[in-house]
Amino acid sequence: MKQTKLNAAGRIGRRRFLAGAGAGVAAAASGGLLAPGMALAQGFPDRNIDIIIPTGEGGGADRDARAFASIWGNHLPTNFQFGYYPGAAGQVGYEFYMSREPDAYSLIFANLGPEVIMLELQGTGITVGKDIVYVQQTLSEPMAVWVGPHSPFRTLEELVEEGRRRPLTVAVSRLPHPASIGMLALGEELGIEIILVPYGGGNATAMAAITMEVDCAALPVTNSIVLADQSLVLGVFAKENVAPEGTDNAPTVNAALGTSLPALTSSRAWGVHRAAYDAYPERVAALVQSMSATLADPAYVAAVEGTGVPPVFIDPGNEAEAMASAQATIELARRYRDLLTGS
Amino acid sequence: MEMNAAGLAELFLYSVSMWWLIIPAVFIGILMGAIPGFAAHNTIIMLLPLTLAVDVDLALTFMVALYCASHLGGGIPAILLNIPGTGGAAATTLDGYPMSQQGNASRALALSFVASISGGLITSAVTLFMLQYLSQVGFYVRSVEMVVVMLFGLALIAAIAARDMIKGLIAGALGLMLGAMGADHIYATPRGTFGILELFDGVPLVPALIGLFAISEALIMLESRTIAPAASARAMPSWSQTFREILGAFRHWWLMLWTSLLGLVIGVLPGAGASIASFVAYQQARVFSRTPEAFGTGHEQGVVAPEAANNGVTTGTLVPLLAIGVPGGSTAAVMMVVLQFHGVPFGPRLFVQDPVLAYGVIMSMFVAYVFMLFTLFPLTRYLSRITVVANYYMAPMIVAFTLVGAFVPRNFMADLTIAVAFGLLGYVARKTGYNVAAILIGVILGPLLERSFLLSMRISGGDWTVFFSSVIGNVLWGLLAVTLLASPTMNLLRNLRSARNTQSKMEH
Repeated sequence: MKQTKLNAAGRIGRRRFLAGAGAGVAAAASGGLLAPGMALAQGFPDRNIDIIIPTGEGGGADRDARAFASIWGNHLPTNFQFGYYPGAAGQVGYEFYMSREPDAYSLIFANLGPEVIMLELQGTGITVGKDIVYVQQTLSEPMAVWVGPHSPFRTLEELVEEGRRRPLTVAVSRLPHPASIGMLALGEELGIEIILVPYGGGNATAMAAITMEVDCAALPVTNSIVLADQSLVLGVFAKENVAPEGTDNAPTVNAALGTSLPALTSSRAWGVHRAAYDAYPERVAALVQSMSATLADPAYVAAVEGTGVPPVFIDPGNEAEAMASAQATIELARRYRDLLTGS
Repeated sequence: MEMNAAGLAELFLYSVSMWWLIIPAVFIGILMGAIPGFAAHNTIIMLLPLTLAVDVDLALTFMVALYCASHLGGGIPAILLNIPGTGGAAATTLDGYPMSQQGNASRALALSFVASISGGLITSAVTLFMLQYLSQVGFYVRSVEMVVVMLFGLALIAAIAARDMIKGLIAGALGLMLGAMGADHIYATPRGTFGILELFDGVPLVPALIGLFAISEALIMLESRTIAPAASARAMPSWSQTFREILGAFRHWWLMLWTSLLGLVIGVLPGAGASIASFVAYQQARVFSRTPEAFGTGHEQGVVAPEAANNGVTTGTLVPLLAIGVPGGSTAAVMMVVLQFHGVPFGPRLFVQDPVLAYGVIMSMFVAYVFMLFTLFPLTRYLSRITVVANYYMAPMIVAFTLVGAFVPRNFMADLTIAVAFGLLGYVARKTGYNVAAILIGVILGPLLERSFLLSMRISGGDWTVFFSSVIGNVLWGLLAVTLLASPTMNLLRNLRSARNTQSKMEH
């Protein structure tokens, strides 16, 4: 293994690095990713596309957006410039996005579950459909409850049994989140007390579960899949576990506990200003067309797989489907408003 | 997961063969680290397209070398201009800048470089052999213990306040209040933001740091001709003097050893970082020093301790990513993006599937520090000349460069306004005898303390006794009490002894 690596590194040498660095510097100078050999088109887009990510760098949204953009450049001849605007459960990113020029050159890469719940509960004044339109869905994944490798709980039943004796502490990324809804609804249905502990990001949440600061974590299932043997998935908030291999063949929560909780998923989707959607339909059409081509490209499947996300979570959906996902999340947020706001 | 000696030796030679990559990365890192706002994290993000375009081992070597060097670079303007390049270098200003004002800039730089490089070498060597043990630290130091760790850092306010109790405490309290601005950690409800969106995520550290230190310092600088006394303007230190200063810095080897290990352990903790490590190290060095009263006046130990600690952090922050698979800080998070982009696993799987890459990251860090040893020491001779450049040239350049730095991390125009507002606050504070470092400590540590406090309270269901529920936490509380009581007790004993001596002399 080692020798192979050293040989491989020897082959890379200065020349390959400098060639790569040249391409990289060119891309860096233009601020984003550019497909090698791609000439810029004459029409739209004639400048960089700004991608607003309402969470921090290195998180799930960053991972998925970069995987998408790495292939998207083959279908839309432009550069993609990433900007990260975390804060206030995603509100900062959305508010900042809304302050941008609505010209279809600024897009938001949304995590529909938590962000739509945030928009619904935090009184931001931003309304899905009226101010922002999700034009293309890319991935969908269910929420999961999981523990670290040293946790005493090996099944969901054991966790719930403990929950009947004392309150359970559950690490979550933030309170307005489908995973939070799942755990609160579970506690309500089974009559156990759930204490949600928001750690402000997937990585910090995962660490809390691994180090057993809390009893378990509730997050989108990919967070536990990429951690491999550092996590043990106890249950999935879905009708069916479509990724049994990466999730320790975990049962669905309803199947394990006999509950009747709704399926809780979160979809990634590209959003544009409603104003841009109305004023520049041809630009939006060009974006959507290239997004669809990207999703159909086998290279995208490989890129997603390369980041550790099961390709089964690729869930291409058009505007109607993306907006339906958002609407379903709004209804979920309204239904569990009291639990999430403590009112 | 462990490597034998032959494997490590081979890995060392392989990393050395990357000199053509490490040396440019070191110089970029030093330069970016020295300009507030750029630092490692932002520079690595700016260069991300480059690192994604090359093979993963080259990318990681480049990023790691740049990361280490930027921590070292942050100390240079802290010493020469009283402007920390990064939050981790803020504590270095406390003694580094007074040394420059006394015409000892070259000695202060030598101390900083030796401490930084030694700290980096010690901690990367320790990490290579003890990675698995270090990764366990997170299992024992959680939110409850983090509250006490933060209080160790905040204790520095008390130390600063010892010189002028009322003003020191007011400055610290003001910093804590400013740090409380932004959305609350649990419910994301905005507090004290005046509806300003750019403050929803709290007071941004870089514009605050730039304002408090750089802009206020630039205004102060205009009142004098140069930073260093006029006498030192005539002479550049000779090579033999530079060499003596570098060798002389090794007198503090014991301080470098324990403060760098302290930095390593703090770096491993999730949510901690170089700022906390350097504040804690400075405060502890002062407590255990035989000459605590000299701290803050241009004391060598006051430069060594924070610089060794903040370079110890560099290795520590990579431990959670390498050993567990969760990044311990923002720079490690960007490295994770690169690993993901190349389809390379991280965490324990990395050691199973590609041990050379896993250990190579830490070895690259070690080798980067070795290269810094040879490439940077000569710089101490020339960099110190900055202190004799006329201030009417320096001040506008500082304002221009640092305002760009204030804008870079978030691209918000409002951050320029925030930097200027903090600049005016810093200027008024300096002119009226309030310590800007105490304000910054509050701004940095306040939100972190609040976060750990709220998480602990939430986990315990609101039971405050949770803060005394763990053995490690209680030991830390005990040490904190010793730390806080040590100085006054020593002073009391010293006073009693001298009073007794005086009395006995009078009797005789």
